Amino acid sequence: MTEMVRLSNVSYSIESHVLINGVSLRVDKGEFVALAGENGAGKSTLLKLIMGLIKPSDGDILIEGTSTRRQKVSTLARSVGYLFQNPDRQLFGATIRQELTFGLDFLGVSKDDGERRVNETLELLNLNPDRAPTSLSRGERQRVALASLFVRRPTLLLLDEPTTGLDYRECSQMMNQVAALNRESGVTVLMITHDMEVALDFSERMMVLSEGKLIADGATRSVMRDETSLRRASLVPAQMVALAQRLGLAPGEADDAESLADWIADNARGGADDARHS
Amino acid sequence: MIELRNVSFSYEGSADRALDDVCLSIAPGEFVGVIGPAGAGKTTLMHTLSGIVPHVRRGEFFGAANVAGLDTITSTVAEMSKTVGCVFQDVESQFVTTMVEDEILFALENFSIPRDEIPKRVDRALSDLDIADLRSRSLSSLSGGQKQKVALAAALALSPSVLAFDEATGELDPASSVQVFALLSQLRRERNTTIIVVEQKIMLLSAFADRLIVMDQGRVAIDGPVRQTLERPGRLLELGVNCPRVTTLAARLRDKGLYQGAPPINLDEAEVMARGILR
Repeated sequence: MTEMVRLSNVSYSIESHVLINGVSLRVDKGEFVALAGENGAGKSTLLKLIMGLIKPSDGDILIEGTSTRRQKVSTLARSVGYLFQNPDRQLFGATIRQELTFGLDFLGVSKDDGERRVNETLELLNLNPDRAPTSLSRGERQRVALASLFVRRPTLLLLDEPTTGLDYRECSQMMNQVAALNRESGVTVLMITHDMEVALDFSERMMVLSEGKLIADGATRSVMRDETSLRRASLVPAQMVALAQRLGLAPGEADDAESLADWIADNARGGADDARHS
Repeated sequence: MIELRNVSFSYEGSADRALDDVCLSIAPGEFVGVIGPAGAGKTTLMHTLSGIVPHVRRGEFFGAANVAGLDTITSTVAEMSKTVGCVFQDVESQFVTTMVEDEILFALENFSIPRDEIPKRVDRALSDLDIADLRSRSLSSLSGGQKQKVALAAALALSPSVLAFDEATGELDPASSVQVFALLSQLRRERNTTIIVVEQKIMLLSAFADRLIVMDQGRVAIDGPVRQTLERPGRLLELGVNCPRVTTLAARLRDKGLYQGAPPINLDEAEVMARGILR
């Protein structure tokens, strides 16, 4: 795998508060990683460090091999897209088309290429170009913000709680689109989420941050069974993972309602196996 | 405690009805969860309970709303705020000070709570939400979730007879969300506080609320006991509301002819269900 992001012993302090404390991690190209942790653990700070919006007090961050210290944020923004928790902080176009077109000029994208990209993105995210972003629901505005990042063809997407405040339908739509972007264009995704169901459904890998330290990093379904780390970071595992664990299943054996129902049926009293034994 | 009779409301400049003939009766000490898709009227409903609709967010109001004996039309928002403690989705919009402790003190002092009682209330609110360490921090230095906890603490410190939360745990980590809901349950038990919460996390609502209201297009689409409502996952999905995974599991087991009981509403009940089927 090719390396996308590497943090080597990164710390970040503001006044006397240590917000990030000696974090080392690596994310490879094309990965979909969830980042979880308690309120105030430093998750958003970590994303801002990776985006280059703030520079580490100690240690180094490499994006595709280049240190964020040696790059301007404007250069980094060509390859890294950052979706804020609140989409209203990044939307200002009068129409969706304007929102998407804005910025492409600055990146030196030709008019034809720009138009092609905007149209592709509108179609991919199923957006009406003539609508005003302000007339949309929060979920739709969140998708416009995602589109305005994606039109720039980033190689890395940093998402800060992209599903907060969205209803179930908006949440599924948003996450399915992020997953499609990851699968089809290979964009690397690093997503902060408190929703463990979303983390389980969409991320292969999960990192847990607590009090500025990385305390767990591994396959999502395994990390969710790490009760000590979860408790430390005020997390609650996804329901089906917790239930599978209580019932003594191995990690990954059955982590969703469908496969757990199948497993229960296979091991039910009076089931096929019982009949064989009697 | 809360009585809405045929309430309809359209925001100024809009022909659409944000609330459309809503009738609702909530008894003292009830814990009611409100869920539904974006634009269903959930926030408008909460604003109606606090008098913000139609006094601050103006428009055409029909029907009658009464909260704890106060008519929301003839009462001022200030009067309502002594009875109904609100926390909104965007907490930054409701902060009036710049420091954590001041924010909690502000309402207590303005509502003429006896002087010697104020420090006790502040301490209790801070410790209830586990934010005693943030006491002297500036609000701008806090994370989104920490700010939400401060707004919750400020509302709880007033111990109003009605608590109305509009997606007030959206930015909290999972354990803190559970903690807030457990705290609400305790208030209901100890002080008979009436609780009405808009929340997208169906797992929290099903584990803590006793009644679920599903809103759709300004109307009350479903209103019933939580467990009974969860027995119709198909109808909920049509309304854009997901079921907790434990309920989905129960539905799958029912399809397989393995389970006939009521749907579980939490992990413990789901474990009992599964062990009852397993050999």
